[in-house]
Amino acid sequence: MSPTIYMIILSTLATGTIITMTSYHWLMAWVGLELNTLAIIPIISTMHHPRSTEAATKYFLTQAAASALILFSSMTNAWNTGSWDITQPLTSPSHILLTMALAMKLGLAPLHFWLPEVIQGSTMTTAFIITTWQKIAPMSLIFLTMNNLSTSVFLLMGLLSSLVGGWGGLNQTQTRKIMAYSSIAHLGWMATISSIMTNILIMNLLIYLIMTTSVFLSLIISKSKTIQDTTSTWTLSPTLTIIMLLSLLSLGGLPPLTGFIPKWLIMEELILQNFNLLISMMAMSSLLSLYFYLRLTYTTALTLSPNTTQTKFKWRFYPNTSTMFIITPATISIFLLPMTPLILL
Amino acid sequence: MTPTNLLMYSTFSLSIFGLSMHRSHLVSALLCIEGMMLALFITSATLLSTTQTTSLAATPIILLTFSACEAGTGLALLVATARTHGNDHLQNLNLLQC
Repeated sequence: MSPTIYMIILSTLATGTIITMTSYHWLMAWVGLELNTLAIIPIISTMHHPRSTEAATKYFLTQAAASALILFSSMTNAWNTGSWDITQPLTSPSHILLTMALAMKLGLAPLHFWLPEVIQGSTMTTAFIITTWQKIAPMSLIFLTMNNLSTSVFLLMGLLSSLVGGWGGLNQTQTRKIMAYSSIAHLGWMATISSIMTNILIMNLLIYLIMTTSVFLSLIISKSKTIQDTTSTWTLSPTLTIIMLLSLLSLGGLPPLTGFIPKWLIMEELILQNFNLLISMMAMSSLLSLYFYLRLTYTTALTLSPNTTQTKFKWRFYPNTSTMFIITPATISIFLLPMTPLILL
Repeated sequence: MTPTNLLMYSTFSLSIFGLSMHRSHLVSALLCIEGMMLALFITSATLLSTTQTTSLAATPIILLTFSACEAGTGLALLVATARTHGNDHLQNLNLLQC
């Protein structure tokens, strides 16, 4: 793809999300989602091999159906109430359709099956865009309509997502599929808290985006497609192994790191609301996620795999990919825990 | 529920059931998506003419424009699938399931 067209497509991608986030009218929200979908399709199918075409087709079919469903729910609502505002209450059939459509857009648990396959079929950078930037627009719609959607459905979908994300990632050896299941599990936590306290939802989304950016950038720099590839990270950059270890543990939610903040606040809030069984099950399911993060850290940083004599001098060469962008997300995703009282809105 | 409403809801529902149940060819999935978009177009056009809201006058055109773009993208993906997989059966899109 030529750089001009790539820049146009990337700016369309940014514009779509911004239109959805700033819209007040359902039609403009839908326009933003459509722009997003239409702009990411060429990015996914840049490589002309069967896997990327399949990923682009699956992404297109799910996203087109979901955005049409969003517009249908808002249009039936407009027929019944005459109001096109996003913040106005929705009538009975339309809020169910909207919940389903937003869950399908995000990849929440009963409608998550497209996400690992699409991420597996695209390149590392595209997978990074899909798991981070593409989550913002549907999550902002959830944030805007949360007062009108059903609480129990979101609690159930959140629990199911974190369970599916934990169990699904256990058997994977591809890092992109592991990151897809980790995305599903984190979205489960966000869906759970979205119906209780929306400012924790925003904070959890931001922290998730930063942590995923950090892990994906380390995977991009070390060119790790499978778990086996992460074993040679130390030959490329010994510092990167430590950053990757701490970022992965932060993504898993271990206490001295940033990833513990959303889990801590969500657990506290749900215990205050007497959802004890739910939050215990979610904490247990995050142990499953922690298992596959730990397996990645084990092969990356904690063991020395068999190698030839030449490979251990690779770190002396200047790296091909730019390592500058990882500094900020890695620092934030490791050290932010003492800042908790400041960043909680 | 007026007969107009019933017609529009059933058109959309038939299209989305077709998309989710009848998964043999990519062309039929694209046709079902197009049917959903046309049902939405009819819904917004009749909503406009029923309520006489002039501020919503551009809605059906915007909707039709974006659905045309979406149909174009879908056909491009159909061509890409035919070139890489040889046919447009949705069962053949199974390389990434593992």
